Amino acid sequence: MHVMTTRKVRLGRLSLLIALTGLALFMMLPIVFLFNHAFKPLNELFLFPPRFLVSNPTAQNFERLWNATSDDLVPFTRYLFNSVIVVSTTLVAVVVVSSMAAYALAKFKFHFRSVIMSLIYVSLMFAAETVQIPRYLIISGIGVSDTYFAHILPFIAAPVSVFLLIQFIGQIPDSLLEAAKIDGATEWTMFMRIVVPLAAPAISTVAILTFQAVWGDTEASTLYIHEETLKTLPYYIQTLSQATQNAVSGQGMIAAAGLMMFVPNLIVFLLFQNRVMETMVNSGIKE
Amino acid sequence: MAATGTSRRGRSLYRWKEYSVGYMFLLPWTIGFAVFMAFPIGWSLFISFHTVAFKAEGMEYTFVGIENYRRVLAEDSEYSVKLLLYFQEVVIMIPLIILFSFLVSILLNQRFRGRMLFRALFFLPVIFATGQVLMELFRQGQGDLPFISQYGLEEIVASAVGVQFAAPVLGVLSKAVIILWYSGVQILIFIAGFQTIPGSIYEAIRIDGASPWESFWKITLPAMKPFIGLCTLYTFVDMFTFPFNPIMELVSKHMFLQKTGYGYSSAMAWLYFAVVLVMMLTVIWFTSRSRKSG
Repeated sequence: MHVMTTRKVRLGRLSLLIALTGLALFMMLPIVFLFNHAFKPLNELFLFPPRFLVSNPTAQNFERLWNATSDDLVPFTRYLFNSVIVVSTTLVAVVVVSSMAAYALAKFKFHFRSVIMSLIYVSLMFAAETVQIPRYLIISGIGVSDTYFAHILPFIAAPVSVFLLIQFIGQIPDSLLEAAKIDGATEWTMFMRIVVPLAAPAISTVAILTFQAVWGDTEASTLYIHEETLKTLPYYIQTLSQATQNAVSGQGMIAAAGLMMFVPNLIVFLLFQNRVMETMVNSGIKE
Repeated sequence: MAATGTSRRGRSLYRWKEYSVGYMFLLPWTIGFAVFMAFPIGWSLFISFHTVAFKAEGMEYTFVGIENYRRVLAEDSEYSVKLLLYFQEVVIMIPLIILFSFLVSILLNQRFRGRMLFRALFFLPVIFATGQVLMELFRQGQGDLPFISQYGLEEIVASAVGVQFAAPVLGVLSKAVIILWYSGVQILIFIAGFQTIPGSIYEAIRIDGASPWESFWKITLPAMKPFIGLCTLYTFVDMFTFPFNPIMELVSKHMFLQKTGYGYSSAMAWLYFAVVLVMMLTVIWFTSRSRKSG
């Protein structure tokens, strides 16, 4: 009986692995496609029906992209520099501000707590597109248009990040915090030493999501920034691909640019996703 | 008398002290939220009762009452139809996404060789969250499942579930790819949720002679309830604010049209928002109720 069940388990596990492998391969398709697409020569880009894999890889798309950018007044590196500054500042700001807010909402009692919670739920439903114009008026009203702040500030109060973090910080047992308090920890030490490490998986998730949103954002550059030297990389790539959309060589450039926009996403993802895995099991978190 | 007075003052002082720490932690976020979320949202509600004209000296608002809303509901033939179709689709999609990501995360939570690699692969969709990559794929026609038209699946589905439901079911089928690629964050939340259940509980229940099946129903599922609720809400939000969903496209399209304008599109957004909110509150109500009973 016992032997039979273990064999059954083993068989089940094998089929499970096969199913997972199939699904996982499927998950990789977009990445495979992106990489192959960027290295396709022109004649392969326009094949019909479109081919998934490249048969004669070439770097000419990247060369074209490079040549197209070298004639511009503002160098390509300037956009890249702007993007790096904006993304890194926003990432740090969002993580700090939202985990602080989530800690307060999950673990403190105060007036209006339920009001703020319901406000978060309500604002979750509001897509950024619908509040573009009021936001524009505010940005110009407080006088931060044409500064880096116009890129950064609208992202900071992200309701989604707080919403995700509240649930995880809420799981941290109160007794752990109380014990630290009795040992004389200040609120800030408790936050930094207990809450942040224990919520690391959720914080990493927030970091990944925020990076995606900010790195790919063209709204700020389009609406709030008029100074060309302060715009970011995705905006530049968007204008480039719009300008060359109808040209045959443009398709190759778009594919190359798409890959270039995607690679940082992949890198950040790989960096943070390991943190997501860190188990809370061994830390004795649950009561 | 005096004693109770002091003690009450003492208590309120103590409470204020206790509360103030919370306020300090909340403050930066609140400011940002008020300025960049709450205020613009309120403004868009205000605008939805007006028509907006862009003049050289700024914007000009004319109060029109509920005229915008009436026009959206009564005159816009596209809006109601698209809304209804999209809701039908989402109602089918959300349980599928939750179920799929829950199953996958259970599998990924098992111990087996290479599970780190598998986990990383299943989180990959997270980085398509912004939609650029997905849109690119759809433009290329790689997002559809070709077998649907190849094997005449349409008739089979239509005969199975009836003609009126065939369209949403087929829509879901052809979006099986999307279900897969939309479950990244959900899988992530579930796996992170599983980590909050200590292994010692499983050991204890195994020693008591429970089968894995029983321990799933008695331990895993109840402990995961808050995370299932969280995931449902997240999926909800994700599906409804996806910038390429038909309603959002409609709203953005009307925003700068001469005939309709920003007031009209705000009314559209608010109507949509009201419906979604009612649905979301139902979900929250259900999850909070199940949490209490669970």
